[in-house]
Amino acid sequence: MTAWVKGDATDAEGAIAAAAALLAAAHAPVFAGLNADVAAIRAAYRLAGTIGASLDTQGAAGTYADLGALSRVGAMTSTPAEVQGRADVVLVVGAKAGTSTLASALRGSKPVRGLAAGADRQVLAVAGASAQALASDLALLRAHAKGHLADATPLNEIARALYAARYGAVLYDPAELGELGVETVQGLVRDVNEITRCFALSLGGPDQDRSVVQVAAWTTGQAPRTGFGRKVPEHDPWRFDAARQVSTGEADAALWLSTLPAARPDWLGALPSIAIVGTGSPEAAPGTAEVVIAVGVPGASAGGVLWNEGRAALTYRPGTGGGASAADVLARIEHHFAGKDS
Amino acid sequence: MSVLSLRQAPPERLDFLNIAPATLAALSPAEAERLPIGTTRRGLVLGDCFQVSLDGGDSLTIEGGHERLDRVGGALAAGTIRVVGDVGQRLGEGMAGGTLTVTGTAGPFAGTGATGGTITIAGDAGDYAGGAVYAAKAGLDGATLVIKGTAGRHLGDRMRRGLILVERAGDYAGSRMIAGTIAAGSVGDDAGYGMRRGTLLLGSHGRLTPTFVETGEHDLVFLRLLARSLKTLSPRHAEIAAGPLRRYSGDLATIAKGEIWAAA
Repeated sequence: MTAWVKGDATDAEGAIAAAAALLAAAHAPVFAGLNADVAAIRAAYRLAGTIGASLDTQGAAGTYADLGALSRVGAMTSTPAEVQGRADVVLVVGAKAGTSTLASALRGSKPVRGLAAGADRQVLAVAGASAQALASDLALLRAHAKGHLADATPLNEIARALYAARYGAVLYDPAELGELGVETVQGLVRDVNEITRCFALSLGGPDQDRSVVQVAAWTTGQAPRTGFGRKVPEHDPWRFDAARQVSTGEADAALWLSTLPAARPDWLGALPSIAIVGTGSPEAAPGTAEVVIAVGVPGASAGGVLWNEGRAALTYRPGTGGGASAADVLARIEHHFAGKDS
Repeated sequence: MSVLSLRQAPPERLDFLNIAPATLAALSPAEAERLPIGTTRRGLVLGDCFQVSLDGGDSLTIEGGHERLDRVGGALAAGTIRVVGDVGQRLGEGMAGGTLTVTGTAGPFAGTGATGGTITIAGDAGDYAGGAVYAAKAGLDGATLVIKGTAGRHLGDRMRRGLILVERAGDYAGSRMIAGTIAAGSVGDDAGYGMRRGTLLLGSHGRLTPTFVETGEHDLVFLRLLARSLKTLSPRHAEIAAGPLRRYSGDLATIAKGEIWAAA
């Protein structure tokens, strides 16, 4: 394990003790990123519960766009493998979904299972210059699908195609659409389901938010942005936004967990901080934070359970071995607080 | 009148949900000072941050607000709370009745879930004023919310009942509204996005949501009643309701039973 404290290389025990001391001195620490395997995310929630920290994730904007819409209108959703196997009409919403690998795979293939097996696949698109423009286009599309508007526009054609499909799918990136846009997509999909099958498919980001949502749910019963300042888990997506807490001076220490590659948050240098990062990543450097601990990369140098985007499930990815685990580092930090009433 | 005086800027966000005249009336000053209001492991109590002076009455003044004071007036069912200064998020969350006044500005989600009483903000309000918090059933739910300054985006998001009166508001005013009334001097773009039912009365507006359709100019008894009911709260808004108005119906992406009345 490579580690640095205040820029100087040190051993694992020294870095873990420094991290524990940094957290012990803080009143309102924040844990951010949570871009790691399930064991590390679990250890982060345990440590946060012990010391009264709050947690936030790398992809919170997209995660909460989906969860907010889910809590209000529900969701009819599918998996990438199902859409590839069965969909004869796919609507790609927004620029990010348009350039996704799944969209290009769908353009170059045909459905092979179910009612539409062997049919040609129609891939349609709605692109907007901004989240606001996309939301407007989606509202117009849903108004056409409902029959409230019926002018001869491309949106009307898309609405008709979704109704004529045997298995329709709507691909989108939740961070690009925002909660209003996602809610309109889900409403559209629900409307089309009164006539034929149609599913929304939210594309995950390059983070482990899908894992965090599940760990947070089984650990706290809540979504990811949870704080333990009052010993019980409190969920508040506004209050526990890590960037907001740092910019207003509410947070007085930070732990950034990202054993998978990601750029560090720009606010990390603004307060006493710990970075637990993957060995070999550009962030595994002495200047990243006050305490930097480099550990194994799950699915590469260390084994770990990660979100499997294709199967939409948590699956174990073996590693080559040799890297220390982030979960172990977090547990050893927590060990420093054992028996102390924080 | 009971008074809580802020000693200095609080070191963390404070939760004022349980600080109401009715709660304080049952307590001695020493007991009141021990009420927990902190939100971190510091474990702050009321006496740590405020000087407490109680008279057992139904009116409470918070001298020296701060943008870190959350859920002020949330437990109010009767009586008065007056904040001299600013407040944080969720002003009057779930409030059932009484009068809540803020002389400064309010953070996001002011009046969320409030079922009764009147909330007045003399300054500006953050995003989602009268709007719903995550996974909540509704935003403003029967109370009256008056904002004399500028409200942020998503004013009255998912509001279900009650009245919002605002001088100016940002984009997406009345988004996903379930029902209720918003009267605004001016709003930004895309007012009423995803609106199901309800009424928006607008002095002026930015870009109209494309899924609203104009249904012409009308002279309805409802508008005269609306003007009369607004008159006591704000003559300026009553004038908008009494003047010539153009009606738009929407949001056509939903059940489209909402309406926007815009000054012609």
